[in-house]
Amino acid sequence: MTITLRMFHWLCRLILAGIFLYSGYVKIREPLQFAVAIAGYKLVPENLIFPLATYLPWLEIALGLGILIGWKIRYFSLASAALLLFFIVVLAITISRGIEANCGCFSLDERISPKTIARDSLILIPALYLIAEPRLRRRWQKSTPASTSSVPGN
Amino acid sequence: MLKRSKLILLLATVCMVWTASGRPSEETSGHVLGGALNSPIRIEVFSDFQCSACREFYLRTIRQILQEYSSKDKVCVIYHEYPLTTHRYSRSAAQYAEAAAQLGVQKLLSVMDSLFMDQAQWTQDGNLEASISKALSREDFLKLKKAMQNPAIDQAINKDIQLAITQKIISTPTMIISYTGKQQKVEGLVTYLVLKQFIDSITK
Repeated sequence: MTITLRMFHWLCRLILAGIFLYSGYVKIREPLQFAVAIAGYKLVPENLIFPLATYLPWLEIALGLGILIGWKIRYFSLASAALLLFFIVVLAITISRGIEANCGCFSLDERISPKTIARDSLILIPALYLIAEPRLRRRWQKSTPASTSSVPGN
Repeated sequence: MLKRSKLILLLATVCMVWTASGRPSEETSGHVLGGALNSPIRIEVFSDFQCSACREFYLRTIRQILQEYSSKDKVCVIYHEYPLTTHRYSRSAAQYAEAAAQLGVQKLLSVMDSLFMDQAQWTQDGNLEASISKALSREDFLKLKKAMQNPAIDQAINKDIQLAITQKIISTPTMIISYTGKQQKVEGLVTYLVLKQFIDSITK
């Protein structure tokens, strides 16, 4: 059980960190193309588009690194989940408005669709797990008193 | 001694290849609309006269870039024809623009302005000459008509198309921006304010 939990913990961290690092890296390489993607959502004032396209990828990189390193992982997971929820809401609003925007998620030429919402929701799972992990661990430890396992990074 | 000279020769070749790869190979095609070729930023635009996003991009973004940055040699704008086959009059419009380029860059800009401004009209009736004749004097218009017979015009357009294919450009407008050894491909409409903020972030 201990090893399984530990493996699951690391799997969640690696998936989440990998996704945020890759996503940030792609956008940092092409800030102007990402700005075009942001403009396509028609939600952000024009003067804020380029600053957002410049700094948002660095936030993603910081979150990815934070989760990978494991320092204050619960807070980094919480911030990741909040960012993913924000993306999901933005995607849902844009689709409901009938706007055909480029996602700007991982590759900069992918159209938004319910699939992109579903994908972001799936990415939310490891973030939510890492947030809820200490509570879940306590519950499991209560149910199995012999266990003295500890999960790293907390 | 021979080994050392060979090594120097090899290093020199590597340097030449490396430098050439950082430099856009597009110098042989397209038209410089404004700015010196050695400007710190080079924007290469691949555009189609019948595409509505290209119209907006040219009239609202590129013209302002030419006015604000190219006139101060901060940005070099190079225009490449990329007439999409799905557009009925794109190729003819590109031919007129290429012919206008033979009369000089100012004439080309006048023709481009006119073609993009009247896009809705000639897209309907196909009367490109009506739009172009407004942009040029009678004498220049006759020169342009004569220049249209030059087979080099179609060759130039084909060269631009070939370049677009090489650069994996699939839509218009697409920009290739080169600056400080970097190159970025940007597909779609970029507003002047966003492009200005980007340029300012590089040149500050």
